[in-house]
Amino acid sequence: MSDYATTQTGHDPRLALPPPGAAAWSGAVGWLLRFLHQPMSRFIIKRSGYALLSLFLLSLTIFFFVRVTGDPAALLVEPGASPGDVAAIHHQFGLDRPLWVQYWLFMVSLAHGDLGQSFYYQTPVMGLYLSRLPYSIELAAAAMLFSLLIGIPAGILAAVHVGRFWDQFGKLFTLLGLSMPAFWIGLLMILLFSVYLGWLPSSGADTPWHLIMPAFALGWYFAAAHMRLTRSSMLEVLGSEYIKLARLKGLPQTLVIAKHAFKNALIPVLTLAGINLVLMVNVAIVVEYVFAWPGIGRLLYEGIAFRDFPVVQGVVILGGAMIVLVNLVIDILYAVIDPRIRLGN
Amino acid sequence: MASSDPKLGSDVRSRGDLPFTRRDVLAGTALGIIAAGAPTLARAAAPQDQLTWAIHVSLAPTWFDPADTLGLISPFMVLYALHDAMVKPMPGNAHASSLAESWSSSEDSLTHDFVLRDGVRFHNGEPVTAEDVKFSFERYRGAAHELMKSKVAAIDSVDGRHVRFKMKEPWPDFLTFYSSASGAGWIVPKTYVQKVGDDGFKKAPIGAGPYKFVSFNPGVELVLEAFDGYWRKTPSVKRIVMKVIPDESTRLAALKRGEVDIAYSIRGELAQELRSTPGLTLQPVVLADASWIYFPEQWDSKSPWHDMRVRQAANLALDREGMSKALFLGYCKITNNALVPYTFEYFWQPPPAVYDPDKAKELLAAAGYAGGFDSGPLYIDSSYANVGEICVNNFQAVGIRTTLEPVERAGFIAAYAGKKYRRGTIRGASGAFGNAATRMASFAVKGGAFSYGSYPDIDALYPQQADELDEKKRGAILAKMQQLVYEKMMFAPIWQLGFLNGTGPRVGHSSFGAIQGFPYTAPFEDITIKGA
Repeated sequence: MSDYATTQTGHDPRLALPPPGAAAWSGAVGWLLRFLHQPMSRFIIKRSGYALLSLFLLSLTIFFFVRVTGDPAALLVEPGASPGDVAAIHHQFGLDRPLWVQYWLFMVSLAHGDLGQSFYYQTPVMGLYLSRLPYSIELAAAAMLFSLLIGIPAGILAAVHVGRFWDQFGKLFTLLGLSMPAFWIGLLMILLFSVYLGWLPSSGADTPWHLIMPAFALGWYFAAAHMRLTRSSMLEVLGSEYIKLARLKGLPQTLVIAKHAFKNALIPVLTLAGINLVLMVNVAIVVEYVFAWPGIGRLLYEGIAFRDFPVVQGVVILGGAMIVLVNLVIDILYAVIDPRIRLGN
Repeated sequence: MASSDPKLGSDVRSRGDLPFTRRDVLAGTALGIIAAGAPTLARAAAPQDQLTWAIHVSLAPTWFDPADTLGLISPFMVLYALHDAMVKPMPGNAHASSLAESWSSSEDSLTHDFVLRDGVRFHNGEPVTAEDVKFSFERYRGAAHELMKSKVAAIDSVDGRHVRFKMKEPWPDFLTFYSSASGAGWIVPKTYVQKVGDDGFKKAPIGAGPYKFVSFNPGVELVLEAFDGYWRKTPSVKRIVMKVIPDESTRLAALKRGEVDIAYSIRGELAQELRSTPGLTLQPVVLADASWIYFPEQWDSKSPWHDMRVRQAANLALDREGMSKALFLGYCKITNNALVPYTFEYFWQPPPAVYDPDKAKELLAAAGYAGGFDSGPLYIDSSYANVGEICVNNFQAVGIRTTLEPVERAGFIAAYAGKKYRRGTIRGASGAFGNAATRMASFAVKGGAFSYGSYPDIDALYPQQADELDEKKRGAILAKMQQLVYEKMMFAPIWQLGFLNGTGPRVGHSSFGAIQGFPYTAPFEDITIKGA
């Protein structure tokens, strides 16, 4: 008799096919287990968990803090309105429900991608947000371009000519950019370029020309930050051994800087730029107000001014989600590049 | 001097040379030419038959629906363009027949009849009928809707053009509320509203006004175009664009550049700048917005403010003319009536305001406060903190020691109405439509939304005037009430606000100031473009 008993059909039972679907399931489970055992997978899951926790805490915070600002009904009825009118507003917007019920309904809607209805504009907040988002992205992109085009070369010059004119100029540029408030820069630019010189439009977003001043006003602060980081990064790289070797080999200064030093010095700057881009999209409130730029920052200002809770909650949560997502992607990329990070060392 | 050595080139400097090269001079010259004569690269010419407004507040969709009209003036900025009313304030007439060809009230004030104008139509071509009038009133849920609906027993469509309002009891203020103190008399098409619903109506409103809705970008821009079928006249400005520019300086810059033709709310030094700019015209409008200092502590017998001499001293300490010149270029109207604007029915004219800090100090000394006293905070809506600063300085100068407490608008109104400001003083104001009786009701008599206390003799007069059907007698009672308010110094009057706006060189007739007490441009159909 064979070691392998056969069935009545003549087939080795060990070779019998498993029930339909079982193989697929067991394969999937096996894959999942192998996946979860990978250091990278565990890293991604852990970081994603932190990201979700951050967003949950953000939702709690903004939900309760926005309600500390006062009763929105005060701005939706005339002064001295009857208690009945005020109660009607509360009921219309669900503000007469217990707070925890309001929060629960808010989270359930959020899970479905619904940010609620604006009290003031009486339109879906998501629609309002999406209508303003392209303008904010446009402004942020232009401001980022300006900040990199000015900040990086200025930082390189400052590092290469440390202690001399370009370094001093860079420090002055940085000081002004970090200390002058954006609204003041904006108003001065409007006065000079719109009113006195008549070169540029003062407000709105109708043409590409409208973008120039708000992008500069927004970007100057970030240009200063990028310049400082580029300078310190360049100084560090220029002091490294392989740069010394390049110089000893007789390579021209421009080649040493452009080919060898620049790329390595740029890594932290681009990392910061990525995070700053998301910030620019979400926090350009003052610039958008001064230039009447129809972006998200102005929407947030309107939400705060009108105590429009759904608008404030929606803008803050979506902005927070953007920042959390960018940070998550950066963390993952770091882990991909540096095994010490994904192995938890 | 630049070196003449050809190997070095003419732009190379040697010792003793000027600090700039020929290249620098050429570059500087080029920049100067550009600065002096550069074309305005980014200014797009507006279409010839269009005017653009720079609005200072965010436009809300509720302003497109008369049913949601609050007791504020801002919604009327849009209502006068998009919609029309049976009777409404117009130039020279506080109750001008508009959609109604005629109106009449019975002697007992129990019925009010309106006859619709023949041939008036909505923007979609439908005729305006009595059913629309009835529907518009019944769906109204804005300011004073409870009061109006409690007074109206029934509305009858006698025929297609004839509407009769029957009152439960005589109500002489019906027309005041119907025509100006609410949106109930602004007519919307019943068929269309029932078809699209309230939300749909706000997205695409249809009215009977001089302009049709084209598009709305919430918080950014509203576009309207002229309605050729408007009964009064076809507007000469074919297209209106209302842009929201929240910053005052930016609004002025846009006006100077010609990006906008009309700018609302330009104040203080910016108004001075506007006035001195060639081609621009300052357009001041005196609002039906009375403001005052209120003394909530006058009802507390232990407080210095309980003594009328102290309140009189505060009144004499206020330099109203100086404040008006400093902040509003002198355009505020000082009537010395704290609550009732001079444009209102039954306005009573007090004696002229006096500024006499020496007399104020004498009164304080007579009241036992020769060294002054600590008055507590002066609460004020933060948007008018500049007014409050001057009031505080004026009070300090006579010995009334006080501090300014600016509060964000909604919080201020809520606290004022909620009777939270028991200590100190309050700078109050009201721009609501109405008449002397409505102002008394809110601020001076018992039970008023903003009344912290009242005097029995004033309270006793209020129901008398409410029941009085004879206009002259009613006017006399209301005048007496206002006189008592003045004599008892319940309030220290400040002024009626001068609202400052600007127009550019393209604007012919702007309609600013055409309707007494109205801050914005109306009637829209009367606005013209120069040369058009």
